[in-house]
Amino acid sequence: MAALKDLLPDAKNSTSTYYDHANDPWFKQRFSTSEEEKSTVVKAKPVPPYLKRAGFVPRKVEDFGDGGAFPEIHIAQYPLDMGRVKGAKPGSKILPVTVDARGNLAYDAIVKQSENAKKIVYSQHKDLIPKILRNEEEGGDEGEEEEEMQKEIEETMQETKAALEKIVNVRLSAAQPKNVPKQSSDSKYIKYKPSQQSAAFNSGAKERIIRMVEMPVDPLEPPKFKHKRVPKASGSPPVPVMHSPPRPVTVKDQQDWKIPPCISNWKNPKGYTIPLDKRLAADGRGLQEVQINDNFAKLSEALYVAEQKAREAVAMRSKVQKEMMMKEKERKEQELRALAAKARSERTGTVAPSTAVPMSSDRSAMDTDMRVDYEPVRERERDMPKESKEEREERLQREKIREERRRERERERRLEAKDAAMGKKSKITRDRDRDISEKVALGMASTGAGRGGEVMYDQRLFNQEKGMDSGFATDDQYNIYDKGLFTAQPTLSTLYRPKKDVDSDMYGGADEQLEKIMKTERFKPDKAFAGTSEKSGPRDRPVEFEKEVEEADPFGLDQFLTEVKKGKKAMDKVGSGGTMKASAGSSMRDGYEGGSNRSRINFERGH
Amino acid sequence: MVMQVISGHLGWVRSVAFDPSNNWFCTGSADRTIKVYNCVIGSYRFSLSLFFSPLLIWDVASGRLKLTLTGHIEQIRGLAVSSKHTYMFSAGDDKQVKCWDLEQNKVIRSYHGHLSGVYCLALHPTIDILLTGGRDSVCRVWDIRTKMQIFALSGHDNTVCSVFTRPTDPQIVTGSHDTTIKFWDLRYGKTMSTLTHHKKSVRAMAPHPKEHSFASASADNIKKFSLPKGEFLHNMLSQQKTIINTMAVNEDGVMATGGDNGSLWFWDWRSGHNFQQAQTIVQPGSLDSEAGIYALSYDVTGTRLISCEADKTIKMWKEDETATEQTHPLNFKPPKDIRRF
Repeated sequence: MAALKDLLPDAKNSTSTYYDHANDPWFKQRFSTSEEEKSTVVKAKPVPPYLKRAGFVPRKVEDFGDGGAFPEIHIAQYPLDMGRVKGAKPGSKILPVTVDARGNLAYDAIVKQSENAKKIVYSQHKDLIPKILRNEEEGGDEGEEEEEMQKEIEETMQETKAALEKIVNVRLSAAQPKNVPKQSSDSKYIKYKPSQQSAAFNSGAKERIIRMVEMPVDPLEPPKFKHKRVPKASGSPPVPVMHSPPRPVTVKDQQDWKIPPCISNWKNPKGYTIPLDKRLAADGRGLQEVQINDNFAKLSEALYVAEQKAREAVAMRSKVQKEMMMKEKERKEQELRALAAKARSERTGTVAPSTAVPMSSDRSAMDTDMRVDYEPVRERERDMPKESKEEREERLQREKIREERRRERERERRLEAKDAAMGKKSKITRDRDRDISEKVALGMASTGAGRGGEVMYDQRLFNQEKGMDSGFATDDQYNIYDKGLFTAQPTLSTLYRPKKDVDSDMYGGADEQLEKIMKTERFKPDKAFAGTSEKSGPRDRPVEFEKEVEEADPFGLDQFLTEVKKGKKAMDKVGSGGTMKASAGSSMRDGYEGGSNRSRINFERGH
Repeated sequence: MVMQVISGHLGWVRSVAFDPSNNWFCTGSADRTIKVYNCVIGSYRFSLSLFFSPLLIWDVASGRLKLTLTGHIEQIRGLAVSSKHTYMFSAGDDKQVKCWDLEQNKVIRSYHGHLSGVYCLALHPTIDILLTGGRDSVCRVWDIRTKMQIFALSGHDNTVCSVFTRPTDPQIVTGSHDTTIKFWDLRYGKTMSTLTHHKKSVRAMAPHPKEHSFASASADNIKKFSLPKGEFLHNMLSQQKTIINTMAVNEDGVMATGGDNGSLWFWDWRSGHNFQQAQTIVQPGSLDSEAGIYALSYDVTGTRLISCEADKTIKMWKEDETATEQTHPLNFKPPKDIRRF
C-alpha cells in the first residue's frame, strides 16, 4: 500500500471532494427499490464503435450508454450527468473552471470566451517579458523559407481576394439592380352578374366582365418604409490591459502643466473694460522712442540739393540762350538800321562818308552811329543853304520828333527785353493767362456772346436812366418775377412756331400745317364769359396771370366815408396805396374800376 | 548628416511617399498641395495643388512648370504611390481620399465615406485595396477599382492614426489614439487581436522590411512586436520623451523616429539602442516651436531619409560615409533591466 503511494505522483488536490452519491441519478436508479422509478431507466442509445466516432458529440445521458466518458472525444462530458452543474442554463455566464494540459488553472479563460475565443488574447505575465534578440538563429535554408513565404502570400492573397470579391460583387449588384421588378402584365377577366337587374342599374346591362390587372409599381419610387437605425453591435469583449497603471502625477508635472491665465489688455480680471488711457499707459507705448534712420534725412537733403542744382543749371542755360538771342536780335536791328540810314542818305542824295556802318552791337557803337546820323545833316545844311528858314525850322522840328520817337522805341525795347529776361509779362502776354475771376474783376470777362445762342442780360441794368430805385427795390420787396421772362427778346412770337420745315417732304410743309392749325376753329370758344364783353384781338401770346392788387372796396364805401369825414382822414388814401404802387405798377391802371379787378382771360371765336 | 533642405511648401509638410521606381517622391502639406520632387537632386518636379490654387508640375530636366491641377481642400495627411498602377493616393483632413492618375495628373477617383478627417493611408501589397484610417475611429477598406467600401473596420474607440498592411495574416494593423493596436482579418473584416501594451496613443508604426516584426511608437515608449501573432518583443532602450509622429525602418535595421519637438532619433532595430539623436534646425524665419517632424520615409533603397517638417521644409538625410568610431563614438550602456511596460 505504502509502496503504491510512493509510486504514484503526489495528489494535485489534497482535499478530498465529497460527492453526494445518494443524490446522483445513477445511483438512485440502481439502489432505489421503487418500481416506478425503475421504469424511468434511461434507454441507452447505440454508441458508434471505437474509431468511428468522428462527429459524435456525447451531450446527453443517453449518449453514454451506461458507460463513462469517451477519452478520445475532446469535449466536456458528463456521463450520467455527473459533475454537471444543476442550475446551469444554456445562456449562463458562468464559465466552468478549465485547466490546461499541465493541470494549471486557466484563469484567463474569461477573456478568451465567446468572441475572443477565435482571437489571440495576451493575458499572461509571460507575454510581458521582453524577448530581446529572439530570432538570433537564422537557418541556412533561407531559400526554402522564402519559397514557403511566397506560397503563403499567394495563398492568402487568393483567399482574401475571393472573399473581398464576393463582397464587392454583392454590393455592386445591389447598386446596379439588373432585374427591375416587372410589371405583371397578365390580367384576369371576371364575369359577374350584378344583383340588381334593372335598367336603372349598370346601364341596364345583364352581366359585366371585369379585367383585373396588378396595380403597376413605379420602379423609381422611394421606399415607403423608414430607415431604422440599427443599434451598434456590441464591440468585441475587452482584452486585458497589458501596461502598468499610469503613474501618479508628480508635483513637478503639475507645476509644468500649470498654464497661467491669459491677461487681457481690454478687460480686467473682473471682466470690466479697462479704460483706454490706462490701457495705453500700461502698454508702454509712450515709453519707446521712435528712431528714424539718419538716412532719410540724408536722402531728402541730397534730393533737395540735387534739385536746386538742376534748377540753377536750367536757369543759367536759359539765361545764356536768351542773351544770345537778344544779341542776335540787336545785331539784326542794327543791320536794318544801317540799311535804313543808307537808304535815307541815298534818297537825300548825299552819300554818307561812312557808308559802311560798323556792325557792332554794343551801345557805344550805336551812339557813334547816331552821331554819324547827324553828320550828313550838318553837311546837308552846309550843302543846301538855299533852304528857307521856315523850311529849316520845320525840318528841325520833324527831326526832333523823329529823334524822340526813336528814343522812346529804344527805351521800350530795352525795358521789354529786361522784363522778358526777368520773367515779367509783357503787355501783350499779360492778359493771356488771367484767371476768369480776375478777368471779371477787371471787367474783361466775355459775356457769353461767343457761346452763341441767347445772350443773358440782367434786366435791371436796362432801365438805368430811371435811377437806382427802378432796378433795385427795397430788400423786402419781391419784384424779381413780376415781369415776363422774355420781355426783351422777340422770343414770344417764335415760341410756338415749329422749326423750319425739316421733314416737309414726309409730313408736308410746316408752314402749311401751321396755317391750317391757325385757321382751324375747333378749339376756339365761341362764347365768352359773361361780363367780358370787350374783345381784345386774337391772342398771340400765352395766357398771362397778373397779380391782384389789394382788395379795393367794391362798393366805394371807403370813398363814401372819406367824403363824409372830409378832412379828418385825408391820409387814408396815401396809406392804402403806398408801398404797393411801386411794385405792382401794372395793376395801377384798374385801380378804381368797379367789379372785378382781376385780369381777364378772354376766349373768343377766331376770325 | 542633413544632405539637403527643400523648402517649397507653404504649410506644414505632413506626409511623404516614394515612387516604387525611386525616381521621385511626393509630399503632402497643410497648404493643401501635393508636390512631387525629383529624387536624385531633390529638385522640384511637380506639385499637385489641391484647392483651386495652382498645382504645379515641373519638368525634371528643365525645372519648368508643366501642369496645374486642383483637388483637396484641407491638409493632406496620407500619401501612397501604387507599385502596380500609375496611381497615387492621397487622403486629407477634408474627409476625402483621392486617386490620382499620374499619367494625366488628374483625380480619377475619390473614395467617399469617411465621416471625419482621414489621418493615414496604406496600400495593400498584393490586392488592389486601399486602407484609410481617420478621426471617425474607423479603418476603411476600399476597392480601388470600384471605389466601393469593402469593410469599415470599427472597433477602435478613438482616431485611427496609423495603419500598415502585410501580404500575409494579419493583413492589416492599425494603431489608434485609444492606445491600442489591432490586427485585422481582411477576409472577414474582424479583429484578430488587440494589443494594449501602450499607454499613450499609437501615432506611428513601422514594419521591418524583412523581419516579421514591427515597431510602434507612442509618447511613452517605442515597442517592438513580432508579427504573425503580435507577441510583445521588447521596448526600445530609451525614451524620446516627446510625441512621436512618425517612424521609419530600413533594411539595415536603422529605425528613425521623428518627434513633435523636432528630435530625430536613430535606433538599432535589433537591440533597441538609440545610437544617435539629431535635432532638426528650423529654416530661417520660423519659430523655434515650429521644429517638428511630421513624416519620415526612407527611399526604396533605404539609403536616404526624408523628413517632412513643421517649418514647411522637407529635409533629406543621408548616412555619413566618413563617420568612424572616432568621429562618432558609440556609447552603449545598456540599461540593467529593460522596461517592460
